[in-house]
Amino acid sequence: MTVYLRALRLVNFRNYADATALLSPGLNIIVGDNAQGKTNLLEAISFTVTGSTPRTPRENEVVRWGEDFARTEARISLDGSTDERAVAIGYAPGQKKRITVDGAPGPSLTNYAAGGAGARVVTFFPDDIRVVKGAPADRREFLDTLLSSLRPAYARAVVEYAKAVGQRNQLLRRIRDGFSSERTLATWDRKVVDFGKVVLEGREAAMEPLEEYFRDSLRVLYGSEKAAIRYSYTTTLGDYSEALREAHATDIDRGTTSIGPHRDDFEVLLGGVNLTMFGSQGQQRLATLALKFAARDYVRGMVGEDPILLFDDVMSELDESRREYLAGYFLESTQAVISTTNLEYFGSDILQRTRIIRISGGSILETATNGVRK
Amino acid sequence: MATYARPVERLITELSKLPSIGPKSAQRIAFHIVRGRQDDAFGLADALREVKEKIHPCKRCFNLTEAEECDICRDTRRDQSVICAVEDPYDIGSIERTGEYRGLYHVLGGALSPLDGIDPENLRIAELLERVQREETKEIVIATNPNTTGEATALFIAQELEDSPVRVTALASGLPVGGDLEYADEVTLGRAFAGRREL
Ligand SMILES: Nc1ncnc2c1ncn2[C@@H]1O[C@H](COP(=O)(O)OP(=O)(O)OP(=O)(O)O)[C@@H](O)[C@H]1O
Ligand SMILES: [Mg+2]
Ligand SMILES: [Zn+2]
Repeated sequence: MTVYLRALRLVNFRNYADATALLSPGLNIIVGDNAQGKTNLLEAISFTVTGSTPRTPRENEVVRWGEDFARTEARISLDGSTDERAVAIGYAPGQKKRITVDGAPGPSLTNYAAGGAGARVVTFFPDDIRVVKGAPADRREFLDTLLSSLRPAYARAVVEYAKAVGQRNQLLRRIRDGFSSERTLATWDRKVVDFGKVVLEGREAAMEPLEEYFRDSLRVLYGSEKAAIRYSYTTTLGDYSEALREAHATDIDRGTTSIGPHRDDFEVLLGGVNLTMFGSQGQQRLATLALKFAARDYVRGMVGEDPILLFDDVMSELDESRREYLAGYFLESTQAVISTTNLEYFGSDILQRTRIIRISGGSILETATNGVRK
Repeated sequence: MATYARPVERLITELSKLPSIGPKSAQRIAFHIVRGRQDDAFGLADALREVKEKIHPCKRCFNLTEAEECDICRDTRRDQSVICAVEDPYDIGSIERTGEYRGLYHVLGGALSPLDGIDPENLRIAELLERVQREETKEIVIATNPNTTGEATALFIAQELEDSPVRVTALASGLPVGGDLEYADEVTLGRAFAGRREL
C-alpha cells in the first residue's frame, strides 16, 4: 500500500535551475506566493513519474528559458521498505527523451507511462475543470490518460487508432476528390476497427466501476443528489464493422470518419441534469474533483496501489467544510502533494501531520515535517 | 544567402536531400569532402555514377541487381513455391541474414499510405498478384514493417488473395530472441501473447 515519492531533483525545469525537494508519505503542502513555482513543482513530479507533462502539448515549454535541456530525477519508495527506485528523465527538445530506471535505460515512453516508474499519479490542475465543462475531446482524454496509465496495450491502441483514423480520413478525401479508388477502404476499416475495439472495450470495462466511485465521491463532496456518468456511443462494439461500412457514403462526402471511439463522449449528470451544459461553476468544479477521486479509486482497484495525488491550488475556491473534508482525504492518502498560497486554509491539527515545502522564486527554501505520520 | 562558393553550396544542397541528413550534417560532410583527398572524392563520385548506371530492379522480384534477374531469382536451389513480400530491397538483407528463409522475394516498393498519397497502384502489388498466378506460388509470406502502414499493406494483399488457393502468412511479431520474458517490453510481450500458437 505504500508507494510514494521520497525525493525529487529538478534541473532546468521551468523556473527551477537546480533544486531538490524531500517529500513524505501522507500530506505534503507546497506553499508560496503567486508565480514562485508551486504549479511547476507539481508538474515536475508528474513529468518524472509519467514521462510527460499533463499541462501542455508543447512540451519544450518545460525547459528553463535560455537552457537547452531539462532533467528531473526521483527516488520512489516501494513497499515502505528501504527498497527505493531511482528514475530520471532527461529531455532536450527535438530529441528522444532519456528515461533511466535505477541507472539503466528505461522502457519506451508508452510503457514507462503505464507504471514503468513503479508509481502512478492522478493530477488536478485548475484548468482540468474542462473535463466537465469542456469539449468531448477533454473527457476522452481523461479516460485515455487514466486507462493508458494502467495498460500498455490500451496506450498503444490509442496511438495506433489515431494513426489508422488519420490514414482513413485522408483516404476518404482522396476518394471524394478522385485521387484514389475505394479499393483499400475496407482495409483501413479493418485497421480502424482492430484498434478502435481495444479502446472501446477498455473504456466499456472502466465505466461501471468509475461511475460507482464517482457517485460516492460526489455524494460526499456535494450532497445527496444522484450523480451519474454515462458513456455515449457513436457505435457499439457489436455493430462496429457493420456501422463503419454503412457510413462509407457519408464519410466520403464529409472526408472524415464519423463514428468510433474518437467521436464518443460521456455525460456527467447530477440529479439528471447534464453538468457540461447546465452546471454552475461550483458544481462543475466539484464534479471534476469527484472524477479525479474516482480515478484514484479505479487505480487502487486495478493495481492495488494508490496513485500519488498531485492537486494544484485545490482549496482556494472551496468553502470551509469542503476544505476540511479534502484535507482529511489527503491526510489519509498514501501520498498527496498539494499547493496553496495560504496555509491558513489548514487547521493546526492538520499542519501537525503535514510536510510543508516552502518555495520562492524557483528555490525550495525549506521542507519541514511538523509531525511524523505513522 | 550564398555564404560559400557556388559549387560548395551546390554540394551542401545535394547532400541535404539525403535521408536523415540535416543542413548541419550536410555542411559538415561537404567540408570534409572539400578538405579531403581528391582520389576519395572522385571515388565517391564514380561509385554514385556506377550505381545509377548499372543497378536496376530485377525484372522478376524488383530486388536490386546488375543483371536482368537478381542472384536470388537465378538461384535454382531456392524454393520456387514461396514468395516473401517486403517493402524495400534492404529488407531482403535483414531476412537473408537470419539464414532461415530459402524462398524467393518480392519488393513492393513501400507501403500503403493515403497520407503520403500511396495507393496500391503506386506499389508492385499487381505484379505480385500476377506472379503468384504465373509461377503457381503456394505460399506468400508478408514481411512488411510491423507498423500501421505495413500492416495495412499486408492486410490488403491478403484480402486481394482471399479467393485464390495460395496460402498467405505473416511474420509473427514476437519477442526479441535471447531475451528473458522478464525484460521484454510489455507491448511486444502483449503482442506475442495475443499471437500465441499451438505447440
Ligand atoms: N520554461 C520556463 N523557464 C523559466 N520560467 C518559467 C518557465 N515556465 C514558466 N516559468 C515561470 O515560472 C513562474 C512560476 O510559475 P508557477 O505556475 O509554478 O507559479 P505558481 O507558484 O503556481 O503561481 P500561482 O500561485 O500564481 O499559481 C512563472 O512566473 C512563470 O513565468
Ligand atoms: Mg499555480
Ligand atoms: Zn529477383
